Order: sequence, then structure tokens, then C-alpha cells
Amino acid sequence: MAFGQVLVNWLLLGSLYAAVALGFSLVWGIMNIVNLAHGAFIVVGAYIAFWMYTQLSIDPYMGIPLTMAALFLIGWLVQYVVINRVIRAPLLVTFLLTFGLDLLITDLVQQIFSSNRRSINTTYAADGFDIGSTHIAFDSLIAAGIAILLTAALSYFLARTRTGNAILATGMDQDAARLMGINISRTYALTFGIGAALAGAAGAMFAELRQFKPPDEGTFTLHAFVIVVLGGLGTPWGAIAGGLAFGFAETIIPLFPGVGSGYDDAITFAVLVAVLVFRPNGLLGKAFYS
Amino acid sequence: MIILPGFSTRPFHPLLWLINPLLRRIMISLLVLIPLFSVMSACDGSRQTNTTTPTLFFGAPISLTGSTSNEGQLTLEGYKLWIKEVNTHGGIRIGHTTYQVQLKYYDDGSSPTKSAQLTQQLITSDKVNFLLGPYGTAATLQDEAIAEQYQIPMVEGNGSAKAIFSKGFHYIFGVQSAASEYAKVMLQAALTLTNPPKTVGIISADDAFSKEVATAAKDYATSHNLNVVYYQQYPADTTDLTDVLTALKTSGPGGNVPDMLLGSGHEDEAITTMKECKQLHINAKLYAFTVGPAVPDFISVLGPSSNDILGSSQWTPQEKYKGRDVFGTPVHYAQIYQTEYGHAPSYQSAESTAVGLTFEYAIRKAGSIDPQKVRDALASLDIMTFYGRIRFDSTGANTYKPMAAIQIQNGRVTTIYPSAIADAQLMYPTPPLS
Repeated sequence: MAFGQVLVNWLLLGSLYAAVALGFSLVWGIMNIVNLAHGAFIVVGAYIAFWMYTQLSIDPYMGIPLTMAALFLIGWLVQYVVINRVIRAPLLVTFLLTFGLDLLITDLVQQIFSSNRRSINTTYAADGFDIGSTHIAFDSLIAAGIAILLTAALSYFLARTRTGNAILATGMDQDAARLMGINISRTYALTFGIGAALAGAAGAMFAELRQFKPPDEGTFTLHAFVIVVLGGLGTPWGAIAGGLAFGFAETIIPLFPGVGSGYDDAITFAVLVAVLVFRPNGLLGKAFYS
Repeated sequence: MIILPGFSTRPFHPLLWLINPLLRRIMISLLVLIPLFSVMSACDGSRQTNTTTPTLFFGAPISLTGSTSNEGQLTLEGYKLWIKEVNTHGGIRIGHTTYQVQLKYYDDGSSPTKSAQLTQQLITSDKVNFLLGPYGTAATLQDEAIAEQYQIPMVEGNGSAKAIFSKGFHYIFGVQSAASEYAKVMLQAALTLTNPPKTVGIISADDAFSKEVATAAKDYATSHNLNVVYYQQYPADTTDLTDVLTALKTSGPGGNVPDMLLGSGHEDEAITTMKECKQLHINAKLYAFTVGPAVPDFISVLGPSSNDILGSSQWTPQEKYKGRDVFGTPVHYAQIYQTEYGHAPSYQSAESTAVGLTFEYAIRKAGSIDPQKVRDALASLDIMTFYGRIRFDSTGANTYKPMAAIQIQNGRVTTIYPSAIADAQLMYPTPPLS
């Protein structure tokens, strides 16, 4: 059993999953909005990265800042025009709205790009290096690195910058924040925009590491949901913890002798239930995002 | 005289219908609804009174969105091409009546349960005469039960699992080769080499179709001196195969990669497998996938790493059939298809067109549109079409048509087995992926 390879797989995959859940966690933690259109944003990010690669020859990883900027704009617009209206509404209303948004975006993407599968094949996609018998691919490593970088950057931004503090304050107590002179609707738009931008980054990475097509957004949203619940709201590092936990359930547990493939989903959700029983707020969860 | 509770029993003054609010509402509703109903029943009536052209309706739930939307789209194109060709060539003539044909289809979103619900709707609400199959074994398993219940014949071309034909149903017929042939034909092709692979690792999704294929593959390999060193199933909806592939990487003799990697699943998993083999540095001498290589976007997604991958196909344009149908030969069908849709046909489209042709010949043979008579005609049908021989055994499966093995060479699909219809040689071994 190639333990080294399995370990490396787990760490790399876990970080990638964390990238998927990061934006989702932020929006949920601060705005209390479970954004069911998160998967759709990831798919849009994947298509933007794909388009930049095939039309402008921009490497997907180098082009992540551009992808993030594009998704930020889209997220900002969506929040300002649509989500803003349901900030104080009951949870079910936000579910309905983001679900409808999800369907709309997915269908639009399918109309424009067709349902053909796409993938980005870079020239270095098969390259990597070996540590003993363990092979580490460059693209997986870069993706994991970017995911961790984004988490650290988000954490720093929230804790150490004025705007980040404003976002945290708004998440803690909207009215008190307003009294402090914080523009609530602009802060929310910013938060949603950042969430969408992070989704875009995840999409760009997935476009190169795997393949994608419009219906994949459902899987992304579901994974983000499970990862956030596992890792806990309250800190960006929760996404990393959740991603690793989810990756563990997907890559390591099936390798135990006697565990067949049919139990994969059951085990993943059993892990989820176990985490919720012992740590109801998730692995790193806290009452307030900070 | 109208007696309403709470009202007096004196006859109503006509003016009361305008003054009393309740009576006024009743009158307005009647004035609106009566003409509406009469118009609606007139519309229905026109179908029965045959004042318009007699039409045969064929119903199909197809996955136009969702995980198999690509294949569903190809299926729809196959159906539509048949409809167009039949109508252009004068429809289906039975006795003195010539029927036009029309397709009624709905999107089942790649969900088998929705597919079953839509099948029911097509039968009970749209009142279709016959049913064309959906895409995929999962949906076909659900829909055939509905067809059987209502005793409407269903011919399908995109669900190959033996499970479909093992329920003792009499109203289901499948034109395509059985699931067990998918892997067998690729292994047969590989074993024709002078220095064939000695070891094979088989990975399979756990849906009904893929499991059947994988079991048949394992049995065939084992009985033909091909050592199955790795055999593992994974969940059908997985997006990641690193755990399975990591274990496969060291399963060959001496802890090396097996000579051949055989994947039984659908196109998504085939693509994921190739991408992750690259990332995990798995360099097998031959890659074979049961579903994927024959689908048009497989090559465009994987680019150069799609070269030398083996696939199996229900139909290729290179086959040498001469059918009695309007398409005649595979080449001719490909030409007509290309003109209509601007891209080459995949086997999903070809078998869907074949489904339509099957009904056409069965209806002519039965000399009637009665479902029972058509069903019996289908059971005894034996025709040669551009798609191959269509004849059903007692369970409704077509055991008379062989499959072909294909290989992607220089970015295009070539047929490499059986040699009678091959237009290229099998290239072996595959160069390393990096």
C-alpha cells in the first residue's frame, strides 16, 4: 500500500476541496445566506478560465487573478441587484432565490457553451516530481498552494484590514455596524463579490485538474455545503479543515479492507453526522466569523 | 325555478342575475367557460375526426439537461433525422392510409424517476402510439416498466444492460448489442496482437450497466490468459478516482503498472481517469474505456492524451452493412447526418435512428397500428439496416449484431476490429503520457 502516495493525494485533494468551499463559507458566515448558486459561479469561473486559455493562451493558474476579478464583478452585480432584497428575509426565501439563480445561470451557460465537456490541457499537466515512489504532479501542487494562499489571504484581509474588519462587524451585528458608519449594502456587495471571486478561482483550478460541464454545478454546491458544515463557519481555516475531512472520507476510508465502493456516500455522511454529534459547530466552528 | 339554500323559493326575476353579486359571478363564469370548453373539445375532436393528416405519435423522454445531456442530445438528433426522412419519403403506408410521423419528447434532466413520470405522461396525457427509449440503462429500466404496464411497445437503442431484458417483459425491445459485448470486443482486439498485454487492471462504476460490462470483461480476460491483477468498483457519481488509481498503479507484477487499464463507466469517468493517470504518473501500455472514446467531445477535451485510447462502439461509419432502409449504408447515413447537423454522427445517434426504422418496418409488417399487432411484428422482425442486423431474441434483446472496437489515432476515431471492417491497425504500446 503506497502510504506516501495516499497521504499526498489526500492533502492535495483536501486543499482543492477547501478552495471550493471558501467563498461559500464566507457568504454564509457573514451574510447568513446559503448561496445555492455557488456551484454555478464555480462553473462560470471554469468557463472563463477555459475561454482565456483557448482564445488568449493565458495559463489557467496565472490567469486566476483575472478570473477572480471577472467573478467579483458578477458577484457584486448579483448581490446589489438581487440578493440585497432578501438580506433580512427568512432562510427559505434566500434558498428559493439562490436556487432560482442557480438554475438560471446554469441554463444560460449551457445555451452559450453547449453541454459539451471541457477541460484545459496544459503542457505541464503530466509533469511532476517523485519522492521515493510517491509522485506529486505540478498542477495538483500549484492548485493546493493557491488554495492555502487564498485562505491565508482571506484570513489576513478579514482580521487585519479596515475593510475586512467592517465585513466582520457587519456579520456580527448589522445594526451596530451601521451605527458605526459602515455602509451595509456596499459591505454585503463586497462580501458576496469576494465569495464569487473565490468560487471563480476554484473553477479555474478544476478546469485544468479535471473536466467540467454545466450540470456539474450541483455537485460543487453539495460538496461546498458538506465541507462547510464539517469544517465549521467562523473562520476561513474551517474550509481547509472541512476540505481535509471530506477528502479523508473520499480517498482514505474506501481503502480500508472490507469497505466497498457502495459505502462511499454512506461513509462521507456518517463522518458528517459524527462531526456534528461531537462538534456541532463543525471542526473549527465559532459563533461569529472572525 | 331555482332553489338555493337561504333564498326564498319564489322564481328569480331575470334582473336578479345582474344585480345579485353571487349570481352575477356565476353568469360571467358560465359565459367565459362554456365557449372555452367548446373550443377546447373542438381541438381534441379534430384529431379523432381525421380532418387533418393521419399522424402516428412517437413519445420519448430524453436527457437534454443533466449529467447525460450530451448523449441525450445525440439521441434526439438520431430520432429527429428518422422522423424527417420518413415524412420526406411519404410516411408509413398501411393499406389505404398513409401516416405521417411526429415526435413528442420531454427533457427528463438525466433523472430516471423523472423519465418514468414523463413516460406515463406521454402515454396517458399525450396519447402517443408508441414509445422510443430514453438515453441510458438507468432510465430505460424505469421507463420499460411503464410501457409494460400500459402495454405500449417501446423500442430503445441506448440502454444495454442485461437487466433490462431479464424482467420477463414483452413490450421492450433493444436494437443495440448487449453490455457484455462492450469490453469483450476491446479485449478481443488487444489479444490479436503478436505481443499482447499480459496483465489488466479493471475499474468500474457501480451502476447496473457498468457492473455488467466489468463482470463480462473479467470473465473473458481470465479465460483468455489475461491476468486480472486489479478489479475495483467505484461510486457511479464520483468526481475523483485518485484512490482507485493509486492502488491500481502498483498492482501489476513487481509493483508496476499493469499492461492494460480497462475502465467501465461513462464518458465523465473515462476523462477523469485519463487526467488523473497523468497526474499520478500512471503509464499503462494500453488504455481502454467502454464508453467515452466514441463520443465526439472526448477527443476535444483530452487533446493529445486521447491518442491510442481504445474504445468500443455500437456502430461506426466504416462498417460494411447494406441495409434495405432509406439510409442504406453507414457511409450514406453519415453523409445525411453531417448535412443535417453539421457534425459527424456518433453511435448514439445511429442507434436512435435505427430505433425509428425498427418501428417503421414492424408497423408495415403488422399492417396495423394496433399496439399488440406491432408488438408481435417486432418480436418476429429480422431486417438488415445501415446500423446492422436487427432481430430480437425472446427477451427483446438484439443478440445478432456485433460491436466494433475503435482506437483514437492522430485525433480521429478509427475502427480497428473486427478486421473485416477495420480501417486502421491497432497501435501498441501507448507512449508515456508526459
